[in-house]
Amino acid sequence: MLNLQNVTKKFTGDLFTQDFVAVNDLSFNLKTESVTGFLGANGAGKTTTLKMIMDFIRPSSGDIVFDSILGTNQMEIFRNIGFLPERPYFYPNLTGREFCHYLGKVSGMNTGEIKRNIDKWAPIFKIEFALDRTIKNYSKGMLQRVGFLVTLLHDPKLIILDEPLSGLDPIGRKELKSVIKDINNEGKTVFFSSHIVSDVEEVCSDVIFIKNGSLFYEGSVDKIIRENSKNDFTITAFDSNDLKHIFEVNLNEKDKKISSLMNEGFSIYSIEEEKPTLEEIVYEVKSK
Amino acid sequence: MKLNLNNTFTIAKYTAKEILKSKILISTLIIGLALFVLTFVAYSFSYGDPARIAIDFGLGMLSLSSVGIATFIGVSLLFDEIEQRTIYQIISRPVGRNTFLLGKTFGLISVLVINILILSFVSVALYLFLDGEMNNLIVWSIIFTVVEAIMVLVIVSFFSLLTSKVLSVLLTISLYIVGHAIGGVKLLTFVKDRPFLEYIIDGYQFLLPGFYKLNIKDFVLYKKSLPTEYLFSSLSYGILYSLGVVCLSIFIFNKKDLN
Repeated sequence: MLNLQNVTKKFTGDLFTQDFVAVNDLSFNLKTESVTGFLGANGAGKTTTLKMIMDFIRPSSGDIVFDSILGTNQMEIFRNIGFLPERPYFYPNLTGREFCHYLGKVSGMNTGEIKRNIDKWAPIFKIEFALDRTIKNYSKGMLQRVGFLVTLLHDPKLIILDEPLSGLDPIGRKELKSVIKDINNEGKTVFFSSHIVSDVEEVCSDVIFIKNGSLFYEGSVDKIIRENSKNDFTITAFDSNDLKHIFEVNLNEKDKKISSLMNEGFSIYSIEEEKPTLEEIVYEVKSK
Repeated sequence: MKLNLNNTFTIAKYTAKEILKSKILISTLIIGLALFVLTFVAYSFSYGDPARIAIDFGLGMLSLSSVGIATFIGVSLLFDEIEQRTIYQIISRPVGRNTFLLGKTFGLISVLVINILILSFVSVALYLFLDGEMNNLIVWSIIFTVVEAIMVLVIVSFFSLLTSKVLSVLLTISLYIVGHAIGGVKLLTFVKDRPFLEYIIDGYQFLLPGFYKLNIKDFVLYKKSLPTEYLFSSLSYGILYSLGVVCLSIFIFNKKDLN
């Protein structure tokens, strides 16, 4: 769906500041119809990368290639992309509905289509009650919801979200994560950056992890967890006096330990693989 | 991306809507009221033809307040969009930067025209109330005020692409003052005696705005006529100069990183 090829972004300093490389020789491939998380610490270059993808800033070198499914020229490609910036900003004196019509029109939709899609998405994002208020009266959560609405309004094939769940309460986050899964099930590709690793683990099938502007990991979430697990197991067993015992063993010792416990008269209650969470893996990487 | 006229119109429409829903029209009405009161005071405390004083003061204030509004809204045209990141919402759509810039510019020009028409109405109404006679040059003077304000608007927005808001305003005001004074400077004996100064002034006039070409207030006051060719050439100058600045702004805007 989207391919970054050796993309570098260098911000040129002035007399008093040095040049700064925000993104360094970054290459990755975004799978079609996946939900891919874009992870990295603050300042790792996530937002800079997204800005380059959206042509807000230009790479110093390298190429950004979009799949032909999205279109053959920039106009067609951008018609098929929905982008939600980090902390979305809106025109404060327009109402939510006017803003939807504004963005719908510039996306090439007619009034009927815009109304239909507002009617489809507004109840899902629970924002229909506020659409006729001016945006300056919206709360942070309402802004995020209307941001989601306008991102999906023109039925894009690729949805790029920059920190989409920030500013939402737990219920709102749960609802929007569910929407992300639903739109992915409809065949949309979702690429979203987040610093909340548990959200990425919950929603994403794939992850791209950058560190200091360079690619650190690209692949499935399951794979990174598997690769970083130490193959440790926790065996929970009860002895003849019904006392609970917990044993920690590695993969090689597991079968032997289970046999010996059974020979000793233990009743095996459970055998669980100790998998690190994506968050634990990320923290480990960050601290290195 | 290619220029898309439908999107240009949409952006202009919503830009105008956004500004008109802000408090700017109230500000204009306050300026209009101040214009009315000041003009009234000016002719009340003066000897001579009250209608002439009213139109002199009225057109002068109209020009200054229009330039003030143009500077105020023009400096925010792109600067605020970039600073407040509202631009991301629009140009992440199939909207080229040229379309965006033109749409914003036309939107602001429409707001500017509405403001100038309100203020012109106040000035001319008072002039007519004092038994002044309407003539073509008054209409031309108002048209030139609009063109002058458009020039200021595009110049200040051009500077705002390159530097800070404050500096953009200062540079624009400097150009406005010099652009009015430059017409008379060339007539000075001091300049006539030094040909290199004439070259400098010619160079200035070639590149930088000659606002004096749009100032016909003296002709309005003394009911002198002006050749139609002069009026149309000044009008063309203002429009072409503005278009030139807009093209230059588009060129820079297309290359600019929108951080």
